[in-house]
Amino acid sequence: MYTLQMIHQVVAHPYQFYHDIQGKRRIFWYQGILLVLLTFAAKTISILITGYAFETREPHEISIFHEFIWLAVPWLTWCVSNWGVSTILDGEGKFKEIFVGSAFAFAPYMLLAIPVTLLTQVLALDEASTYNLLHQFLILWVAWLYLLKVKILHDFELRKVVVITLISIAGIGIIWFVGILLFGISNQFVSFIIDLLKELRLRA
Amino acid sequence: MTVSNKMRNRLAGLLILALVLPLVTFSGKASADSPYRGYTWSRSGNEVSSINGYMYDSSIDPAGTAVGVLKNPESLFIAEDDTLYIVDTGNSRIIHLSKDGGPIKVIGDAEGGGKLQEPKGVFVKPDGTVYVADTKNQRIAVFNKDGQYMQEFPKPDSTLLGANFSYSPSKLIVDKRNYMYVVSDGNTQGLLQIDSTGKFKGFYGANHVGFSWSRLLIKLVATKEQQSQLATVRPSEFSNLDIDEEGFIYSTTLGEETNQIKRLSPVGVDTLNVGSHRYGDYYTDGPFSMASFVGISVDRNGFITALDLQTGKVFQYDKLGNLLFSFGGIGEQNGLFVTPAAVDQTSDGLLYVIDKGRGRIDRFRATPFAELVHEASLLYVDGKYEEAETLWHEVLRLNANYDMAYQAIGKALYKAENYREAMDYFKLSNSRGDYSAAFREYRKLFIREHFTWFFSGVIALLLLLYWGMPKVYRRFLAWLYGHKAAAKAKAAEGEL
Repeated sequence: MYTLQMIHQVVAHPYQFYHDIQGKRRIFWYQGILLVLLTFAAKTISILITGYAFETREPHEISIFHEFIWLAVPWLTWCVSNWGVSTILDGEGKFKEIFVGSAFAFAPYMLLAIPVTLLTQVLALDEASTYNLLHQFLILWVAWLYLLKVKILHDFELRKVVVITLISIAGIGIIWFVGILLFGISNQFVSFIIDLLKELRLRA
Repeated sequence: MTVSNKMRNRLAGLLILALVLPLVTFSGKASADSPYRGYTWSRSGNEVSSINGYMYDSSIDPAGTAVGVLKNPESLFIAEDDTLYIVDTGNSRIIHLSKDGGPIKVIGDAEGGGKLQEPKGVFVKPDGTVYVADTKNQRIAVFNKDGQYMQEFPKPDSTLLGANFSYSPSKLIVDKRNYMYVVSDGNTQGLLQIDSTGKFKGFYGANHVGFSWSRLLIKLVATKEQQSQLATVRPSEFSNLDIDEEGFIYSTTLGEETNQIKRLSPVGVDTLNVGSHRYGDYYTDGPFSMASFVGISVDRNGFITALDLQTGKVFQYDKLGNLLFSFGGIGEQNGLFVTPAAVDQTSDGLLYVIDKGRGRIDRFRATPFAELVHEASLLYVDGKYEEAETLWHEVLRLNANYDMAYQAIGKALYKAENYREAMDYFKLSNSRGDYSAAFREYRKLFIREHFTWFFSGVIALLLLLYWGMPKVYRRFLAWLYGHKAAAKAKAAEGEL
């Protein structure tokens, strides 16, 4: 119930919302996870109900798991990166606020993605611009909420918001790069250990 | 004892009979399976098994006749009267054979002006005049219909060609005006257009270099010295060409991944491809390289047959560039090729592929399935969708995986204003654009049929939204925040 109120707040009064969540005991960790899961559900459903003419991928090309990764990982790395960058540059936001606040920024997409996608069932490809416009509007809304979140949570002025956002995005890139690097190296390391053990067993 | 002996003899006899019987009774023509598997490419880029369109029929190898063994034959041409002209490159001569391989004459003199040197291409006009691309002699040699040397067109002289232009004519065609269109090996500026007096008239239908981000980047970053060391990017060269009865020139291009086959209009514009169309096999990964088409032949109905050297396969397309059949491959069996070099066809639809590696000509005949598809496709390409529909249904009965049939039936249904079913067929053929068009018409009809319902529904919806929505929203807020908070929120909104 309380989460529902917050969803209404972030859609109807986003300024108010981001001021409010800085209060004590206003937010909970589970809300962030819940919101991302709900957004994922909305995305999955909208993939399923996309009209045939609007499908850009064959069904076998779509992996629900990948869709989830492409939602959750950018979100999580954004939280980490934005928190790190803004903390260094005198931001006031706490990690919990960023974590929950950026999950709530998905709320417009979560609520409206399904109705917008339902349009693809009644539109022909000639009228695709209507659907594209609405879809882009949703994405922009979410992006705007993200910027707003950076501004209010850390109490920055506009120029700093832009700079912080750009650095955060660069930070995301670095995190992914390091992640992939670590994955590669640990892969090599594990296979090295396995080879070593094999060798030992054969020699013994 | 004697009984068992007799028994043994009888058994032995039976055994021998059983061994010999198949040899005696079942001898005759064995129906061989083709060494290749028929397939087409679906719109979504998958290889779909299909019924073979062409089967190996027989081979022509003049080795046993007076003509002798062919040595690296590069090309063949089938004239209007269905006789074969084979370019026997290694022996520097052109061999004229009848349709079934009986020798008629040999063109190319031992001495004098008619002496050929490693020719690579030939074209025969309907009146029997033979034009030979005499590659090593750097000229076009002309012989009359009895094989007598008439004249030659040496390397054309023009400032347009540039100082270091190397002329190496390999393939040519001659149009109705007696203009020659010549493929010169290694030339990237297009086809050479030479008039009947041997004057150079300009390049025709040149390929273009597309835009590339990486090239732009290199241009921006690299110094002049570095740039000069890079290989210059040139447009791709033509490899072969053919001309149809309407005067359109069909060309094959090497070193391109898309639009390797073009139909050039008299002004040199490609009229076959809209956007980029990939011909040949399109594996994007694995040990496959892009198709390199070296042979092309167009029949009077506009079916394009092209030969890919890379895979040794022959691909047949309809007039719109849809793949109909593919067959052949690299191998030793009959029906496969060692190094195929050119393809052409007689008026009865028999395909002739010349195999440079084996020095012989393989003939392929259309299967009943191919004949059916050809017939249906002809009607379809001409826009006679309804007439073609029953034929396409027959195609589907034989091969339910044939994408084109679904597409064609969909078009027929669309034309018959049966949009609902057309949608289903377009869905099966994976063509979203056509599906959407059919859906649009279907939607229009549907709304028209149920107009009262739609009209009243829309009015009711608007009224509901106008009157009901604020009330529902207030209710929702009251439920969400409790009555007190709702009042507060309302007050706050009023303030704003």
